[in-house]
Amino acid sequence: MAKTGRRTFWASLSRALPALLTFAACIAGWQIISLFYLPIFFPGPAVLVERMVAVYGDPASYVVIGETLARIFEGFAASMVIGTALGLLMGLRRSIEIFFDSWIMVLLTFPAVCWAFLTVLWFGLSQAAAIVTIVLIVFPFVAMNIWAGTKAIEKDLVEMGRVYKAGRRLMLRNVLIPQLLPYIFSSLRIALSLSWKIALVAEAFGASSGVGQKLVNWFQETRVDMMLAWGVSFMVIMVLIDLVVFRAWARRAFAWRPRLAA
Amino acid sequence: MGSTAITVDKLTKRFPAPGSAEKFTVLHDISLTVEEGQFVSIVGPSGCGKSTLLNVIAGIESADGGAVTIHPRAGRSVAAPRIGYVFQSPRLLNWLTVESNIHFVLEAQNVPRARWRERVTKNLEMVGLAGQERNYPLNLSGGMQQRVAIARALAIEPDILLMDEPFSHLDAITARKMRFDLMDILQRAKPTILFVTHDLAEAVFLSDSIYMMSTKPARIFKRVTIDLPRPRKPDDAALFDREKTLVREFFSVVEANG
Repeated sequence: MAKTGRRTFWASLSRALPALLTFAACIAGWQIISLFYLPIFFPGPAVLVERMVAVYGDPASYVVIGETLARIFEGFAASMVIGTALGLLMGLRRSIEIFFDSWIMVLLTFPAVCWAFLTVLWFGLSQAAAIVTIVLIVFPFVAMNIWAGTKAIEKDLVEMGRVYKAGRRLMLRNVLIPQLLPYIFSSLRIALSLSWKIALVAEAFGASSGVGQKLVNWFQETRVDMMLAWGVSFMVIMVLIDLVVFRAWARRAFAWRPRLAA
Repeated sequence: MGSTAITVDKLTKRFPAPGSAEKFTVLHDISLTVEEGQFVSIVGPSGCGKSTLLNVIAGIESADGGAVTIHPRAGRSVAAPRIGYVFQSPRLLNWLTVESNIHFVLEAQNVPRARWRERVTKNLEMVGLAGQERNYPLNLSGGMQQRVAIARALAIEPDILLMDEPFSHLDAITARKMRFDLMDILQRAKPTILFVTHDLAEAVFLSDSIYMMSTKPARIFKRVTIDLPRPRKPDDAALFDREKTLVREFFSVVEANG
């Protein structure tokens, strides 16, 4: 038993070896190039780790991160709710589809920076400005995606539900939502990644707190090392959320599908 | 002897023709009756409007003329007759277990929750799928999935059971076995069935009476009674004789129509 365990460990290590080697080579190359520049202009991996320790060793940093995370999740949640509802309505009601068809495109093409400025003018330097910016930019993507999903709903199953006189809620829960689930999951991931990017832009423009505002401060002092130290951590948080929450949830939700590989 | 379960009176259905303002007639002046507890088939060539007829009876398509009346079984509400429907393909909700698929229609038909377990067990056992409650449809073969669909339809204890070529998607051997088992199920559940098929042998084997439909115009041209005793054997010479006569009759009508 222990023997096979060790064998699979070496087997998986040798399979991962090329990837590990290229990763190590990149880090080494990065470190070498960085030696030719000032650390505040182009920091190497060693300096970056040092700065990150400084940032994340300070408890005050977590207040700043907490503020930004709160904005991201509020904007993200509101975008998902509004986008899903609108996408569903557009897919299921022809009149609503006709009405919003071009509006969705208008919203999608409207420059993000414009929203960031406009919301500051409308809401001032406030919490609301960042959240509204996120929602205005993210919800059309969600609506578009869910709307596309409604096109893939099997009419046969809807007809089956109607023959057996299933009510609206029963249909939604057991016939429509399960068929939209792949689209809902892809929307979740798009919405989360977009929300966090836009949150920082919005904060940079119009908030007096949060990670975005930290980035602006360090930008004004031309400290690339500190900007990266703040930015990288957020990437880690978002990837973790994706891996731990969304993928695990998706695995459970699609348990009914027979596995492709034996 | 029994009372009437379904009456279709001078039913007409038109569909908009693609690329023209005129509508073409799918069903013209269709009248039929199904007695309670009887197995009645509608036989006709593909595209003659048989499925449309079932959909109008099921209430998912409207008629352009005439009337459909479904008479509930004694003691049942007249306002909401229970209709079971078995489609060509199983049309199961693949993300729900076999049991939950049946719960879906029980909830839709407002069957009290306390009865669900008994209905599931009884009907899965009847179609030969006892013990599959927690399995997912995609782990079952096509024939087994169709059995689940039959159990689902019977679970609501329907006033009428509509079946639209339910065995046409199965291989010949499975279909033959399913027909045989269906006969067995009917002996026990005794529902009223309106069965649509293009297969005369199947209709003769299963039915008490058969309505024969022709196309262009889609109309019923004959009702035949198959008064052979049950249980029947598929290789019975008497069944075969009946089928031969009906096939001949069919072709004479179809040829006369050009």
